[in-house]
Amino acid sequence: MTFVEYKQLNPFQRFAYNFSKTVKSAPKAIANFFKAIGMAIVKFFVGIGKGFKNYGVTFVKGDWATKLSYIIFGVGDLSKGKYYKGILYFLTEVLYILFMMFFGWTYISKFTTLGTVKSHVEYVGRAPKTVLGDNSMLILLYSVLTIVITFIVLAIYISNIKDAYRHQQMKNEGKKPSTLKEDVKDFLDGKYHITLLSFPTLMIGIFNILPLIFMILIAFTTYDKINMPPANLFTWCGFKNFGSVLDVFGGSLKATTFVELTKWTLIWAVFATFTNYILGMIVALMINKKGIKFKSLWRTLFVLAIAVPQFVSLLVMNQILQTDGALNILLGYFMGGNPQIQFLNSTPLIARTTVIIINCWVGIPYTILSMSGILMNIPEDLYESARIDGAGPMRTFASITLPYMLFVTTPQLITQFVGNINNFNVIYLLTNGGPTTEKFYQAGYTDILVTWLFKLTMSSQDYNLAAAIGILVFIVCATLSLIVYNNSKSMKDEEAFS
Amino acid sequence: MKKILAILLAGMMTATALAGCGDGQSSNEPSNNETNGSGAGLAELDADGFVDAAELGDEQDASIKVWAPDAAVSITQKMCDAFAEHYADKNISISVVAQGENDAATQAQSDVDAAADVFGFASDQLDNLINSGVISECAYAENVIAMNTEESVKAGTVDGKLYYYPETTNGYFLVYDKSVVSDEQAQKFEDVLAACKAADKRFIMDAGNGYYSCIFTFTGGVTIDGYADEEQTVQNFVDYDEDTAVATLQAFAQLIKDYKGTFTSLSVDKIASGFADGSCGAGIDGVWDIESDSAKLGDNFGAAKLPTINVNGEDKAMISMYGYKALGVKSTTKYPLTSAALALYLTGESCQRQRAEEIQWGPTNTTVSEEDVVKNSAALTASVDQSKNSVAQVHITSTFWDPMANLGNQIINDDWDPTNTDKTKDLLTATVNNIKDE
Amino acid sequence: MIKSYKLRRLLANGFIYLLLAVLGIIWISPFVYLVLHSFRAEGVTTVAYLIPREWTIQNYIDLFTGGGGTAQLNFPRWFMNTFVVAIFSCIISTISVLMVSYAFSRLRFKARKKLMNVGMILGMFPGFMTMIAIYYLLKAMGLTQTLLALVICYSCGAGLGFQISKGFFDTVPRALDEAATIDGATRNQIFWRIILPMSKPIVVYTILTAFIGPWTDFILAKIIMLDSRDNYTVAIGLQLMTDHQYKNTYYKQFLAGSVVVAVPISILFLILQRYYVEGVTGGAVKG
Repeated sequence: MTFVEYKQLNPFQRFAYNFSKTVKSAPKAIANFFKAIGMAIVKFFVGIGKGFKNYGVTFVKGDWATKLSYIIFGVGDLSKGKYYKGILYFLTEVLYILFMMFFGWTYISKFTTLGTVKSHVEYVGRAPKTVLGDNSMLILLYSVLTIVITFIVLAIYISNIKDAYRHQQMKNEGKKPSTLKEDVKDFLDGKYHITLLSFPTLMIGIFNILPLIFMILIAFTTYDKINMPPANLFTWCGFKNFGSVLDVFGGSLKATTFVELTKWTLIWAVFATFTNYILGMIVALMINKKGIKFKSLWRTLFVLAIAVPQFVSLLVMNQILQTDGALNILLGYFMGGNPQIQFLNSTPLIARTTVIIINCWVGIPYTILSMSGILMNIPEDLYESARIDGAGPMRTFASITLPYMLFVTTPQLITQFVGNINNFNVIYLLTNGGPTTEKFYQAGYTDILVTWLFKLTMSSQDYNLAAAIGILVFIVCATLSLIVYNNSKSMKDEEAFS
Repeated sequence: MKKILAILLAGMMTATALAGCGDGQSSNEPSNNETNGSGAGLAELDADGFVDAAELGDEQDASIKVWAPDAAVSITQKMCDAFAEHYADKNISISVVAQGENDAATQAQSDVDAAADVFGFASDQLDNLINSGVISECAYAENVIAMNTEESVKAGTVDGKLYYYPETTNGYFLVYDKSVVSDEQAQKFEDVLAACKAADKRFIMDAGNGYYSCIFTFTGGVTIDGYADEEQTVQNFVDYDEDTAVATLQAFAQLIKDYKGTFTSLSVDKIASGFADGSCGAGIDGVWDIESDSAKLGDNFGAAKLPTINVNGEDKAMISMYGYKALGVKSTTKYPLTSAALALYLTGESCQRQRAEEIQWGPTNTTVSEEDVVKNSAALTASVDQSKNSVAQVHITSTFWDPMANLGNQIINDDWDPTNTDKTKDLLTATVNNIKDE
Repeated sequence: MIKSYKLRRLLANGFIYLLLAVLGIIWISPFVYLVLHSFRAEGVTTVAYLIPREWTIQNYIDLFTGGGGTAQLNFPRWFMNTFVVAIFSCIISTISVLMVSYAFSRLRFKARKKLMNVGMILGMFPGFMTMIAIYYLLKAMGLTQTLLALVICYSCGAGLGFQISKGFFDTVPRALDEAATIDGATRNQIFWRIILPMSKPIVVYTILTAFIGPWTDFILAKIIMLDSRDNYTVAIGLQLMTDHQYKNTYYKQFLAGSVVVAVPISILFLILQRYYVEGVTGGAVKG
């Protein structure tokens, strides 16, 4: 259904259409998602099988240089006159061997145990001095680094063999290998994506993916406040940490906390996202309404909330909301007396409502900024025809503005939803999880999963538990957004819109 | 690429999982003890508190980093300079870096290489420092034991080994405006509240914070003593008489209810502000705020150990949580002998006296505690006195604070009925159980 | 009929003005409170009234000269540190974001969709645990406690934030590329000579968001800097000043410091607001 067709429905039909579409497509989308994952795995193994076959076949068909490339990188390229690439291949091998000899092997050899040598104390005169043994954390981290590097080198190795064979074939056909100049030109045009993406990918690989793998592995270890490096060792422990978080029916404190906090995190994310979205849009409409003057003044007032660093504005908010803070004083002026309302630290309901409202204060300016432009982009003829039909402002909003905005900004809504699940600042700086309760493990009533995770890491040093929770949160967020993104209109019509 | 990795790792993980979850090779003992050090025992100190140069062994040109909290950086630097000068032929260079005591342990264990050789920390982080092996045993244990109060030494001793060099007491006590509360009235909680009410001023205590609200249970005999298990996750409670404990809680709740409007639960920084604008008559505040509190009140500033509370006709002294600030020597320091000698000097008699005089740090040194510098200062006397009516702030599980804070929040709540014995008993039982849980 | 319509519109507009004014006051009041109290002379931390009773600029003077018990703080240095880090990380971030988003928007290659999905979900991992790993990776490179480490941290993940600018590039007509290709331009030339000059809003948007990052992060920076106060950024510094052990000493200087940080960023933001809106609009439609 195109937007124009969609526009011809009445609001109820539209709602029904949207609703049924979502419900109908949800199971299919989820099924497709897991099917895609399954297919990817199958494809992967088939690929490996094929790879091994090619590996053998190439060796049999290869000439001496290609065969030698199986042991020494780059020989194939060098023998066919592709010098710069051959040297690069060869250098890779040399560097990798050096890396393994002087760094990689020391760590990777201890990967299965995460270290066995304990630190011990020696005495220098009367003073004890600790001689450190293995550091489990560094072993884990640098092993991950070594594994990643090994896979990259493996990929280079395979490409080296393929290259050698390709050049051999080219020689047989009487073709010459491309020159450096031609290759450079290719990297600026046909293979430009490699040029553009390699630097960012490298950075992301080192500082995002590698630490991520490390963190995922931590969830399967005994790394906590007792087994803490550098003096103590930790080791693998399988799925024990997931067990203690997910042991819902065992009624353990950690499992209860996980369930309760997950519920609140979802409630929080829904409210935080939709209050910001709808209220923000209404304010944006008011500012952008024809005939309203001082548009930039109004916008500026709101934009200040973005420009001031969040930790400053939220700490000030925290002060304002205290029992003797500015808001209570102000309420005292208007209503008399000394209200002493505990906004942040009385009942769960009051505190939770407060954080959602304060989050509006934080989030609405972003919505105003990002929506204003789109609101102004709504095709004028849509409004024109509505005006001719004699529609009032409310009807115009309900039948044109809102559906159009929802249609256009679905992906953004999802980003915001996921962003709110991980919205650390607002909760941490405003309530730090309070009001406190004895019913949760290391958490208060307004704690969402990420702030709990932070407390587990920082105050009770349950690193392994935190990592396990991190993985669970991630799985939920990632599945959700992948499904929605890949089914969203704008993703499917990527080419069509412009 | 990433897929291969993921699958391999997953496989490996399952393998380890199937192989069972051994507890690993980790253990609580950071060291395999050989002998107790060759030259251990009581070391000879000269009049200024320096050990003999021979104790520094052959460590030459030592460069040492010391962590001190912001307020103590300049005075510590002075003392360190004196130390370096005393051993001039050793050519020691010492730099003092500002680092808050509260997160010293966290910072030190994040990267032990970047940590200071001698670091100031608050005693509640001792377990972390020992578990991560960042702190080394006290090399001058016998000297420290001989010089300091029993309580401060006990708080730094784990499994019979002393780890730290105690520096000062670190806790809270009663502070008051003498124009509102007389020294006489400051002895009893009832009188303090009555005096504040009469002057229409607040009594401020952070009752929604476990660090302070533990007074409510401690005073009734529900105190803690270390861990009940090896994993350091279960708090060990001292046996207590439930009736007394409940009666004490009720007495607190009754007073708080009677003085609603006077008794205010606010964070402690509001006490100094309250003294400044005249809205606060008294409060329970810590040593770290003494300077700002006394600056606002001048001669009217009063401090005393926590007052008594009347429970069924008996005046009971309030028991608080009291910690210590101490120095630790990094276990991996390049200069263990020089660092140990420096730590001993910095926490010795003369340095403790100097700090008491210049930055109002209450001494743990037994000699200095009896001296005029303490006796002439209300705050220091209060600090030293209160440390004797206290539970040491060491070996506390992370599950302690929230249930304790909750207990405080409950009994200061408007809806709380102080006369309801059963409900109070339930609250106490639930709190103790929840602290013990996990 | 016409008259009543006009009247209705007048009333409606009046109502909107009123509402906007009230909302504006609500939004602006925390800052007014912040600015007012940064000039407060009396009191220690917060006070139980709205308007300060005595005015002073001493808090600002202390902050910049290290007077008033703030000798252990070095705010001017922190400010410069943050500025330098912000400049460099903003350059690197902007370049990576633009490269990545152009590649995803304009070029078609085999793993494109997969890479986009991976890129999108990578940012969803709660990052606290990875900070330890990042710290030790930096340590292996000998970079901990340096400003360079901060620059790397703030700009390394920038490529993952490609969605908005990819969305923007998607809105630039493809016919332009095609015309250029016919004229014999390479993709590299198209990127630099045709697309970038047309993308001022999204470039400004990217620069602005990347520039603000270092001023607000107080967790990662703290872990990397540990005790090295000379290399602190304003965010860690201000966070330090509100720690409960220092609150009574530094609170009013904290308020002054917050104003000093907020004012330049706000001005920057207000000047570049137009581009920000255009950039985010272009990006959000497709984002």
